[in-house]
Amino acid sequence: MFNNNSPRTSREALRTLVLVLVTVIAFMIYSYGWEVTDINLSTPQQETRQTNVGNALRELLSPRIFEQDREVFDYGENFVIGCDYDSADQQQVDDGGPFILVEPRCGVPGDLITIEGRNLSPSAAARIRWVPVEGQARPREDITSGREELIVSRDGAFSAIIEVPRISGSEGQTHVVQLRVAVPDGPIRFSDTTNEVIRRMVETIFMALLATSIAIPIAFVLSFLAAHNLMKPVRLTLGSMLVSFIALPVGWWLGATLLGDLGRFGVEVGRGDIALALGGFLIPVAAVVLGGLAIRWMSARLVFPVGSWQAEAVGIARQIVVIVLLIFVAGAIGGLGILGGDQFRSLGDTIRPEGDGNALLWLQRALADGIGGVGQLIGILGEMVELFIGGVAGLVGAFTLSGILTSTTRKPLLHLPYRPSVVVGGVLGAISGGLLLAGVAEIGRGAALLGLLVPFTTALLGGQIMVMILRRVFHIRRRAGGSRTNTDVFASGLLFIVSAVVIFILTFDVLQIGRAIIDGTLPPDTTINLLAFDMSLYVFDAVLFGAVLGGIAGALATSNATFPVGSVMYNVARTLMNTTRSIEPLIMGLVFVIWVGIGPFAGVMALTLHSIASLGKLYSEQIENIDEGPIEALLATGANRLQTIVYAVVPQIIPPYIAFTMYRWDINVRMSTIIGFVGGGGIGLLLNQQINLLRYRDAGVAVLAIAIVVSILDYASASIREQLTR
Amino acid sequence: MLIIENLTKVYPNGFKALDNVSIEVPDGQFVALIGLSGSGKSTLLRCINRLIEPTEGRILWNGVDITRASDEEVRQIRRRIGMIFQQFNLVKRSKVITNVLSGRLGYINPVYSFINYFPPKDKQDALASLARVGIQDQAYKKASALSGGQQQRVGIARALMQNPELMLADEPVSSLDPATSHSVMKYLDDLNKNDGITILCSLHFLSLARAYADRVIALKDGIVEFDGLPGEIDNQRFKEIYGEDAIEVGVS
Repeated sequence: MFNNNSPRTSREALRTLVLVLVTVIAFMIYSYGWEVTDINLSTPQQETRQTNVGNALRELLSPRIFEQDREVFDYGENFVIGCDYDSADQQQVDDGGPFILVEPRCGVPGDLITIEGRNLSPSAAARIRWVPVEGQARPREDITSGREELIVSRDGAFSAIIEVPRISGSEGQTHVVQLRVAVPDGPIRFSDTTNEVIRRMVETIFMALLATSIAIPIAFVLSFLAAHNLMKPVRLTLGSMLVSFIALPVGWWLGATLLGDLGRFGVEVGRGDIALALGGFLIPVAAVVLGGLAIRWMSARLVFPVGSWQAEAVGIARQIVVIVLLIFVAGAIGGLGILGGDQFRSLGDTIRPEGDGNALLWLQRALADGIGGVGQLIGILGEMVELFIGGVAGLVGAFTLSGILTSTTRKPLLHLPYRPSVVVGGVLGAISGGLLLAGVAEIGRGAALLGLLVPFTTALLGGQIMVMILRRVFHIRRRAGGSRTNTDVFASGLLFIVSAVVIFILTFDVLQIGRAIIDGTLPPDTTINLLAFDMSLYVFDAVLFGAVLGGIAGALATSNATFPVGSVMYNVARTLMNTTRSIEPLIMGLVFVIWVGIGPFAGVMALTLHSIASLGKLYSEQIENIDEGPIEALLATGANRLQTIVYAVVPQIIPPYIAFTMYRWDINVRMSTIIGFVGGGGIGLLLNQQINLLRYRDAGVAVLAIAIVVSILDYASASIREQLTR
Repeated sequence: MLIIENLTKVYPNGFKALDNVSIEVPDGQFVALIGLSGSGKSTLLRCINRLIEPTEGRILWNGVDITRASDEEVRQIRRRIGMIFQQFNLVKRSKVITNVLSGRLGYINPVYSFINYFPPKDKQDALASLARVGIQDQAYKKASALSGGQQQRVGIARALMQNPELMLADEPVSSLDPATSHSVMKYLDDLNKNDGITILCSLHFLSLARAYADRVIALKDGIVEFDGLPGEIDNQRFKEIYGEDAIEVGVS
């Protein structure tokens, strides 16, 4: 006998038991799934459904690509509703010409009557129409085949059986049974549907092209922020980080106003009469040259020892000169664009000829249109510059001021002794906390879900504060290597979660966010006035929370603490991208359609937004996969982080970047074919319309076009990708 | 003069890679760093140019305290220290000449890096460095097209571009066959004897240390186990450094 309970058999028994359990659970899951998804095998077998789908498929697979003008012949025969009438009407005789016979020639609604035709155009298309005394003629379906579009046989004969229609008040009336024969007549040409489909297909391809192209540079920049290996080493002292954070809105304001005015001035100069007189390009070139000389002079004459405050001041001054120059030149180029656009367009108008009779005139017209088109493009680019220069100036101002203040305060903050660093930390923390919560609250006023951001932020701050207090009180320190003991991690984690939840609930209550979530309402709009700023009570409360929590956190941490700026930026970037990616472009398309209307513009915007998030994630994963060795080597030569990225990171990521871009382009083409279903333009819009009108033959053209284009582009991008990864 | 005082490095997982290491290296010396894998050789080399942050201790080089230096100062110090690696650490997709030129990145204006501009003199120097290690004809090939020994020579050329006073070599020949190993070690020797560059080179093969080094420092479990002339390592000291079961393998 075998050994009961020996390890091997009991393990096998366990395994069998698990297997049985899994099978049973799987069975239950799938049977539930079968029920929930409403799978019913008898529905597809119903005859009407099968006929319908068969017809639809037949029409889809017979796309109306070509058209031919037709000559239409109608042959009619009288028919009397109600047969008390002694029909003495002559039947038609076969005299060699085309005619139809109707048998019987009287009847009641519901009767089946036979129609026969002779000497008709062989193989012509024929339809049966019932022409009543009043009202529209209605098509009749042949009972035997179930179709309305019928074919005359090759020897000119025709036969069909139809049902007499039920028309109110037709008792005793004489109707006409008509056979409409359409004979092809004229050249075969592309149908109107085909022309429309081609136009839309081009539109679709360009939608995908534009969306992908715009997404690429934005995703490229974003991907570096979302790459863990690049972001993790970026750390700042808490003090510096808070200073740069506070500098952002201040810098934005300065930039948007001062630099923005400068930029707009540049635009005015660029499009003004001076530019016209002096020959446009002279202006930006002159500006760049002058600016370059100024910088050269500063670098040559104002040389100070490295690290001295004078050297720093010169560096800052140089930075400011550069950005002033850049904004002005950018504005000027924009203005030149607008000017140039006008010039090109008027040039095009002047040389455009009146008629287009012969080839020469046609060429001239094409040239004029081309020039005008170029002018249009330049003009639009110039207008975009004018539109965005304020915002760009604000951004530049924010980051420049932030950078300047960070670098100037870094050394002093680093060398701050304990007591002052607590005070500085507290003050900076309070200001930053207030600013942060002000921003979050403003966003949170917008919608219920966004309102949750406020308690979320305060919860994070509160949790962190409690953890810091815990560590202070119990003198918990890091281990020698910089890591924390397991008890530390556990206790801190628990306390963090508990206190975060408490603060969350507290904020939730005070700001009455529950109302907003349940009712979907915005918080009440009681405004109060603080330091000449009008803000709502809601925002004010949030600012108070933020200032208090921020001040405590800053004081506890002291301005010397290292703040993992890189990790925070990484998390924010990753979360943003993941959230955006999880919303399908079709759904984004719906929102954009509401904003910019039905058409390809909405489609392009939706696809671009989704592509940025998707490409950003793919790109950043590539960055995280690179070989660290060259980065180490370049750092060892004394290169700074940016140089290391340009020379060690970028060359490694280019092939996978291109491969992913092609992959995304592929997806975008597919997406842009269907985004029309929600109004996003392109061929999807056309397809949707045709299906709704039950015009399956026309829909078939669109489907065919989609299939062809997608497979060609698929193949092309696959072979490009293969080339690159060889 | 490179002075390492009480250098200790404890990794976040608690592993002590270096334990109170103190060494003095005069200029122009060729030091071989030997020891078992994991004895702290790589860590020591990387602490010198602060690719790794020491936990305790000080490193002074020509009077400058490397351990206390600011980020900007570290960059300036790294410029004068060249480093070559076991895996060569070249940018494979870039051309050989670009790899060599990237040795000058610490010296040129950072703005130029965005447009991939190097002064013409640097380009000439790059070709000269490549000529010095005997692979000038490979200058415009992709780095991945070169053999292991050639790639390491590109690494040496890259380090040369920095006009370094000190060269750190982290197991530079561990991935190469014996003949190529000698070839690369000869180039290092040339830099040491003719240019006066101080060399700290970690090696696995004692025979190479005996052939090229002026001085051998052996690490065991993060402590200096031996510090003296290559000839002084007899069988007894060998077993002390590498352990009881170790047998010397030659690279001839």
